[in-house]
This record gives sequence, C-alpha cells and structure tokens, in this order.
Amino acid sequence: MNTPAIAIESLTKEFTNPSVFRRGKITAVKNLTLSVEAGQVYGLLGPNGSGKSTTMKIVLGLVTPTAGRTSIFGRDSRDVESREAVGFLPENPYFYKFLTGAETLDFYGKLCGLGGKVLRDRSRELLALVGLEDAANRRVGGYSKGMLQRIGLAQALVQEPRLLVLDEPTAGVDPAGSLEIRDLILRMKQRGITVMLCSHLLSQVQEICDRIGIMNHGELVREGALDDLISIENQTELTLENASPALLAELRERAEAGGARVLAAHKPQQNLERYFLEVTREKK
Amino acid sequence: MSADNPITVATVHASAHKLFSVRRTWAIASNTFRDLVRQKVFYFMLVFALILIGTSVAMASISFQGQLQTVMDVCLGAMSVFTMLLAVLSTAMLLPKDMEDRTLYTILAKPVARFEYLAGKLIGVTMILLIATLLMTAAFCVVLYYWQGREIENIRLNDPVERATAAIAQLKAGTFTPTLFGGIGIILLRSIVCATLTLMLSCFATSWLFTVIVALMMILAGHLVPIARTVWQGPLGSAMDVPFHIAILMRLITVFVPDMQIFIVVDDIAVGVSVSGEVFLRIAGMGAGYVAVYLLVGYLFFAWKEL
Repeated sequence: MNTPAIAIESLTKEFTNPSVFRRGKITAVKNLTLSVEAGQVYGLLGPNGSGKSTTMKIVLGLVTPTAGRTSIFGRDSRDVESREAVGFLPENPYFYKFLTGAETLDFYGKLCGLGGKVLRDRSRELLALVGLEDAANRRVGGYSKGMLQRIGLAQALVQEPRLLVLDEPTAGVDPAGSLEIRDLILRMKQRGITVMLCSHLLSQVQEICDRIGIMNHGELVREGALDDLISIENQTELTLENASPALLAELRERAEAGGARVLAAHKPQQNLERYFLEVTREKK
Repeated sequence: MSADNPITVATVHASAHKLFSVRRTWAIASNTFRDLVRQKVFYFMLVFALILIGTSVAMASISFQGQLQTVMDVCLGAMSVFTMLLAVLSTAMLLPKDMEDRTLYTILAKPVARFEYLAGKLIGVTMILLIATLLMTAAFCVVLYYWQGREIENIRLNDPVERATAAIAQLKAGTFTPTLFGGIGIILLRSIVCATLTLMLSCFATSWLFTVIVALMMILAGHLVPIARTVWQGPLGSAMDVPFHIAILMRLITVFVPDMQIFIVVDDIAVGVSVSGEVFLRIAGMGAGYVAVYLLVGYLFFAWKEL
C-alpha cells in the first residue's frame, strides 16, 4: 500500500476564546480523518470558518493539534523534515517588498538548502514558468496582486516539492491568470505532484480536482471522488450538434415511449470565463 | 505564464536535513540585514547620530572642561542611546511584520526550524548594530582626531618645549586607548542585549508598539536592578523593612530585568578612567549570558506560538 501524501487521523483543534467575557474553547476542527493519496488533486472546501485553514496549518506544522495527528508522506507534520516535501502558497501572500522577484526565489531556495548554479537555474526556470521573466529584477513591492500570486506559486515550487498546498491560489487574479494557474496545477498533477487546494471558486475546483472533502463547523461532512459525489445517477445528458427539430421531436417521443422523462432540452451555454477570455483575446 | 515551458524534474534536491543549518540561518540573517538596511528609519537614526556627534564639536568649543573629554563623553553617550534605540525599534517590527504579511507562513512552511528563524533574525539585527556602531565609531574617531590635533596645537603654543613634548605624549597615549574601543564594544554588546530582549518580547506580544514600550521600560528598569537587589536582599543579606508588595516587585525586577548597570562602565571610560581586561571579560560574559537566556526564553514562547 502506498504512503498517502497527507494523512489526517482523528484531528481536533480547540482554541481558547480570546474574549475576556466569554471564556471557554472554540473548536475549529472536530475529529477529522482524511487521506490524500499521492498524485491526486484534492479540493478541501467549506464556508468561511469551517476549519479548512486550521487543518492546512496543522498539516504544515504551523499550528499544534489538540488531539490526533497529521503526516506528510508518512512523516509527522510536527517534524521540520516533513516540510522538505511541501510547497505552500497562503491566501493573499505578501513577500519582502524590498526584494526583487529573482531575489525572492533565491531566498526561499536557500531556505530549502539549495544554492549556487542549481538555484540560479531553478529560479530562472520558475520565473519563466510563472511568466515573470520580465519582472524578475523588479521589487516585489511593485507587483500586482496577480503577480504576487505567481511569485508565490514559484516560491512554493522552488525545491521541487512532492506536495503542493494552495490556499485560494487564484484569489484576486484576473480570468486569464486564473486559467493559467489552473493549467499549471494540472501540469503539476501530470508530473505526479500531489496538490491540496482550498478554494471558493467551485467551478475551478470542479475542473481540476479528483477528490474533494467538504467541511462545515469543523467537521468533514462529505468526502469522495468528485465524479461520484456530484453526478446524478438516474439522469443522462445528451449533447447533439446540428440536430433538426424533427429529429429532436422524434427523440423526445422515443424517450417517453421507453419510459424516460425529458426534463430539459435547451441550447448549451458556454462557460462565461471562456467567453470573457475569447473576447479579451480578440481585442489584443 | 509560459504554458509550454517544461520544468526539470531532477537535479533540484536539497541536501539531507540538519537540525540546525548555518545556511538556512544565514539566509534569514542576510535577508533581515537587507530589509533593515533598506528601511529609512536606519538612515534616519544614523544621520541623527552624526548630527549629535557634530553637536559635541560645538559643545567642546564652549566647554570649560577639557574639550577632548567633552567630545568623548557626548559621543559615547550618543552612541549608547542610538544603538539602543536602533536595537529596540528595528527588532520590535520583525516578527509582527512577518506575521501580518504572512511571510512567516511561507518561511516556516519550508524546512526551517523556529530556532533557526529566531537566530537568523537576531544575527541580522546584530549585523546592523555592528555596522551602525562601526560607522559611528569612524565618525567619532575623525572628530576625536580633529580635537586631539587642536589640543596638541594649543599645548605647543602655550607650553615650553620639554613640557609640551611630555604633555603631547601623554595626550596621545590617553586618547585612542584600548579601553576606549573596549567601551565601544560594550556599547555594541548592550545594544545586542536590548535587541535580544526585544526579540523575546515580540515572541509573545500582540503588537510591535507593546513590544517597544515594554522593552524600553525594562531597559530603564534595568538601571534599578542593583537597588532592587539591595532592597530584596537587604544590606547584609537580611530582608529590609519594606512593604511586602514592594519587596516582591523588586524581586521580579532582579529576576526578569537585565542588569543594565553592568554596562555603566562606559560612563567611566568616557571620563578617561582606565578599565582592566578582567572587567571587560566579566561584562562580556554577562552580556553573552543575557543574550543566550533571552534567546532561549524567546524560542520557548515562539515554539508554542499558534501562527
């Protein structure tokens, strides 16, 4: 049996209520157990305050669990070594404003034990990958939100991690940039990198995730393969091209004769994101 | 983003993980140093220190005391104040800023131990303090050299040759002494103690302003430690007749507050008193002890901190 990329066992996290008048504990995560297999793109979903970020922080060793344990490729998350295999992009990241993009990658590379020509080559490669070659020598303080997200993704990849943890990776990024980040995540998946993703952009999650877990009030309320969770078992979609009205009427009749009920027949609509991208690319 | 750009799979692998890595600590230290160098507050402090040294020149010209002595006194005093302020103000912002910008998350999500992070920050600040002290020392030496020349000129004009030669030799031997530079070393050490104290406070403080205020208060209270010790222990080891709460307060001061009076020897050096190497060693040992204890306590707070 393969070692899971992330294993979370009976995880509970309680925080002390900071209010002086309402002492007691706030339970952020309640008895959570889940596993992310290597090579998967896993979406951890849930409304604000559902415990997603706390779970991520515990996995990354930034927060200590009250009970239970988490591990990364079999190594306890509390061990610093476990982070050698992880790249993390927090939500709305800010980096040292006085550093340039290249210096930022250099700094994070050194933290991972890289140096010399290997690090220089790696930085150049990643800057090209995230499309920041032209901004490599500009200070990060002058970067747009989308550029910050890209340099954040590049720093997460600097040591060639086996696991990427991404918290809202497309927050504040325009549709074109968002699509590029999505494509990049899919390319990471093709290369065998496990991705754990937290996002409120459910359409994007649907496009790229293999499995999802939905959290609410600190508990995992649904978990499984995306296709299994969202397909409607007793319904079938049929998309036709150049079908005449007569053919459609005939199909409807045959379906009803066969005991099926036609619930909807309409022209499919293209995704607004793709329409927006088509229009903006035409202008260019 | 260039979608067609492939990224290499192999070749990029870090060396085996070490519990404490000099490379990682140095990466954080040099980054902290660069951060502080590029912050305007540092230049402001430095310019201000230079202005004070300039003021000492003006004071020397109107002083009734020996001009060299006045220059030394004011310059060493200015260096003490500015290195201490630089230490507190620059250190207080390091942790809260990294937490606020979430930079701390990206750093600690890499294989970086929390102790390496803290040690890196402290080394970065120490480098800044060292550079600031060296720059101020250089400016101080230029001013001192100028006033030494003026004084020598004065002796030559007013004293007979034999007396003048002896007086000049004595003046030269008493100006740029090892004790003077040892005193500057103590000023640097004191600022490092202040920086470590501030770093420790920022490990559990909720705002940088709180850290600055408490650090400055502790440094000020540090000058009362010998008095507090006397009140607590009494003149002959017996408790003095003081209210219980005062005695407890004094006890707390002696335990938690650094004894800043150990550095007071700089004041003696400023007025030309010679200090033995043994005293320097004792002060260096105590300073190093404070740095080690505060760094360790800070680490213990930081290790349990929920980010």
